[in-house]
Amino acid sequence: MSEAEEQEKPETMDEPEEQEKPETMDEPEEQAEPQTMSEPVIQGADMKELIEYIAKSIVDAPDDVKVDEETDEEGLTTLKLQVADEDKGRVIGKQGRIAEAMRALLRVKAAKASVRVRLEIV
Amino acid sequence: MNENKTEIAEVAQTILETLLDLMGVPASVNQEHGALVESEVEVPSTITLNVEGDDPGILIGRRGQTLSCLQYLVRIIIGHQEKVWVPIVIDVEGYKQRRCNALQSLAWRIAEQVTQRKEPFALEPMPAFDRRIIHLTLVGHLDVTTESSGEGEARRVVVIPKGLPSD
Repeated sequence: MSEAEEQEKPETMDEPEEQEKPETMDEPEEQAEPQTMSEPVIQGADMKELIEYIAKSIVDAPDDVKVDEETDEEGLTTLKLQVADEDKGRVIGKQGRIAEAMRALLRVKAAKASVRVRLEIV
Repeated sequence: MNENKTEIAEVAQTILETLLDLMGVPASVNQEHGALVESEVEVPSTITLNVEGDDPGILIGRRGQTLSCLQYLVRIIIGHQEKVWVPIVIDVEGYKQRRCNALQSLAWRIAEQVTQRKEPFALEPMPAFDRRIIHLTLVGHLDVTTESSGEGEARRVVVIPKGLPSD
């Protein structure tokens, strides 16, 4: 059945609902701009998820965790992590150790994806 | 190994796997139980999560810094979720085990030298984890004792012959 699966990438983007996949692995809904298909587009959301997961796992108010992301014209992505005031110390850590650890993991991810990312705690 | 600890090992493994996945590093995680160091004193047994993947270097980082950040975050997350502090050790392709073995050989070699020359010997400055291995290795030694001196980055282990009048 591999041939059927191959056809999941329709050449024309105008009828995306035609194939119903049981689970959407990589939510293609945001692919508004028709980029060249040769290189996979690095979604900033990917970078966000890592920080979001860590932050939500170490704070008392996970629902207040918010990560905004901006990419400037030079391709530098900035992640802005926002948490409840009482949780700020938790995501920063003693002498900034937790923030530094999050940055270290983010660097690995950025290196793998060949992008530049920085993390700010706001 | 009690049940609670086994359970925590499972939780730790899941957290680590999630982190690796989110980092975009394809890798598998195996649990190893038991102490990393051979010592005369009883070292509390730890849970070691050993990571194997295509790119161990990127996870270890310069001087093992990325690895220690990964370990630190897993410990913090478990501490927060389970409200217990468990000394989870994260290793990549046996990097720490090899380092540990190398430090143990070094400790034995220096101890022998100190015994023969009957004068103290100061090792290179080392991080806490490494110093601890040296101390633990020589804790039951008949002819030498160890202590740490210096502050911060410059802190180092000094191996001292026993019976030397201290000043």
